[in-house]
Amino acid sequence: MDQLPAIATTPITAPGRWRIGSLRLTPLARREARQGYLFISPWIVGFLAFTALPMIATLAFTFLNLTLTQEDPVRFVGLDNYARLAGDSRVWASLAVTLKFAAIWLPVSIVVPFVLALALNSRFLLGSSIMRTLLFMPYVVPFVAGALIWNGVLGQEGWINTALRFLGWSDPPAWLLDTTFVYPGLALISIWGVGAGVIVNLAGLRGIPTELYEAARMDGAGWWAQLRHVTIPMMSPILFYTLILGVIEVLQYFLVPLVLKNGTGEPGGTTLFYNLNLYQTFFTFQEWSYGATMAWLLFGIALATTLVLFRLSRRYVYYAGER
Amino acid sequence: MASRPSRVLALVTSAVLVAAACGPNAAPATTGAGPSSGPPATAASSAPPVQSFHVPDFEAAALRWYCCLGTGEDPAQKPTEDQVAADFATKYPGSTLKLEITTYDSAVDVLSTQIGANPPDIAGPVGIGGLASFKGQWTDLTPYLTQSGYDLGVYDPATVEFFKQDGAQIGVPFDLYPSMLWYKRDAFDEANLEEPPHEFEAKYTMADGSEVDWNYDTLREVAMKLTVDKNGKDATEAGFDPKSIEQWGFEPQRDVLAGMGAFWGAGTLVGSDGKTVEIPEPWKDAWKFVYDGVWKDHFIMTEAQFLDPKVANNDQAFNSGKVAMGENFLWITYGVAGAGSDWDLAAIPSHNGTVTAPLNADTFAILKNSKHQDAAFAAMAYLLQDRSDDLLPLYGGMPARSEEQDAFLDQLAQTEDFPEDVDWQVAKDAIEYADIPNFEAPMPVYNKSLKILETYRSRWMTTPGLDLDQQIEALRAELQAAWDAG
Repeated sequence: MDQLPAIATTPITAPGRWRIGSLRLTPLARREARQGYLFISPWIVGFLAFTALPMIATLAFTFLNLTLTQEDPVRFVGLDNYARLAGDSRVWASLAVTLKFAAIWLPVSIVVPFVLALALNSRFLLGSSIMRTLLFMPYVVPFVAGALIWNGVLGQEGWINTALRFLGWSDPPAWLLDTTFVYPGLALISIWGVGAGVIVNLAGLRGIPTELYEAARMDGAGWWAQLRHVTIPMMSPILFYTLILGVIEVLQYFLVPLVLKNGTGEPGGTTLFYNLNLYQTFFTFQEWSYGATMAWLLFGIALATTLVLFRLSRRYVYYAGER
Repeated sequence: MASRPSRVLALVTSAVLVAAACGPNAAPATTGAGPSSGPPATAASSAPPVQSFHVPDFEAAALRWYCCLGTGEDPAQKPTEDQVAADFATKYPGSTLKLEITTYDSAVDVLSTQIGANPPDIAGPVGIGGLASFKGQWTDLTPYLTQSGYDLGVYDPATVEFFKQDGAQIGVPFDLYPSMLWYKRDAFDEANLEEPPHEFEAKYTMADGSEVDWNYDTLREVAMKLTVDKNGKDATEAGFDPKSIEQWGFEPQRDVLAGMGAFWGAGTLVGSDGKTVEIPEPWKDAWKFVYDGVWKDHFIMTEAQFLDPKVANNDQAFNSGKVAMGENFLWITYGVAGAGSDWDLAAIPSHNGTVTAPLNADTFAILKNSKHQDAAFAAMAYLLQDRSDDLLPLYGGMPARSEEQDAFLDQLAQTEDFPEDVDWQVAKDAIEYADIPNFEAPMPVYNKSLKILETYRSRWMTTPGLDLDQQIEALRAELQAAWDAG
């Protein structure tokens, strides 16, 4: 029998704590580690060159007065950019826009894929594999093309309003042109891309042991009780994963308003999302340092939100394999 | 036997040769890959320069021509632009001019990314606003103009002033787009209304025969009668349905709030100290007029109607044929055939006794960071002079050189899709009423200020029930905060 690649000759005593000083590798393990690092080195180089170093650079920028055209000499400005951020109504307005859209989109982005996955997982659904393919197909359509198609679908004479008129709504909303309906309109466009979320949810549903449902049925649980007491708790890690991705996605929301509104913020500033404002600050307004400061604010918000969600997840997310 | 144009060409070329040889910086003509020199050489396929000047010697260079901070991106324009760029190498052996097109919508952003480390050499056509977007980034042409003997006297002095930034002459006028009132004669006929006056500051004859000033109060009255719903009722009649309008009475220039305001009076947001926001009173009047026109009197499209593909489709509304009168610039000729076959031009109304017809103007300018300044000047002169006969019709602009304007308007009058008897003289007359200062003139944090103005413009055009005085004050405060943070 081949010698097993012993990772550590000294056992790690406390779970979750590594005693690096006592880690001793066998020659074989060291060779394998070297090969492993060699294999992942392209990624590490890419990470350092295109993520870590630019992040560090942008952090440094926040304390300088850099602009793209740089007429004044570069100088250290301390926390001036952060102070300016605090008093910039455009920044907070764009953040409010992002949060308003998040309030509509996040529930939709979690519930819709879950419900669709439930439907696809139903034994009563005929042609589920075809439906699965159909639901996933929009995900592979380039999002810009999808957004432009939806711009027509949600137009005054588009399919949605034609259907609403057919149903008796004589004066349906101008979805993407009306300050009241623009967020529901954008949420409808985003639903176009939920195919991947459906597949993830479906995989999660198929992974729930059938014994749990059998036991629930023996206890007299109906469809609703099974959903509430078996499916949702067992799916909670998937729903949590969807939530985290959704939060990050919504904080980065940019492409659709840029494509549909050309970054104008129309109608009435309701599509001036934070990321769009950030992009304009960098390139249109040519303010590197201030743009970098805005980027770090976004990073801080994303990090804080994620940490809070992870903290809360201890109470609401059930990991069956957790010890 | 030489044809007459060839003889004229030869004579003009000889004159240029003599002028060049006698000039203080005369340079020997050279060929090949060495240093290029200016005229005596002539463009490969175009008319000779109409102004005598001498391009100083320059090192041969591969130049980049950045387009399109203004017009120029239309695929139909590209073949001519490419040919013009290619011919530069014929005129100046060893040098090349490469056209780089970025669509207007993203042209500012893309140039921002290039201007520091990888700048193009020349940009254009670019208007006063495009130049203001990159204030301080353009080459002062004064030394080149002096050295080359470039005659600025052939232009209206006001248009020369438009292309100054902080005293530096950063551009030479190339083409002009005066603004007029475009109107549909058939709409006036149907409403039994007299057509608006073609002469600036003339009176308007009301339906009852009385003569009144042609001002915005009169325009409002007329516009409401020209606003018609699907039942044929106009906006002054009981039972008029603002939700089913089929023809709107008036369309302001809605691209930017400053431009909209400038039709009521020339002004600038920049106070006398250069850093305080002061909104001109005529602009406030304009914005209130337009807001009421949209939401109270309904003779102006809402933003939703303007963007609706079945109404104006986010283009110039007059060109949709659904608007009886529209204030706009000469450049809407690209699509004005859509307005129908019975439109004409009239004078801009007055406001508080003053007529203002805002002006758009384009040029080609040299990027300060270009590594080939001398060659870029040669390219600029080549585009402005040698190839103006190709480029002016391509861009639809009126020549900035006063003596060429009549010929241009004659040519415009013969455009196949336009009515035969359009009064193009109105366009020429409008130049006298140009807005000085121009509404696109630089202001602090220019691009950001434009975005702030855009946000308010969009809000006003999409939201009824606003208190415009409060809104204008909020706009002023937001602009001031941006300028202070500058």
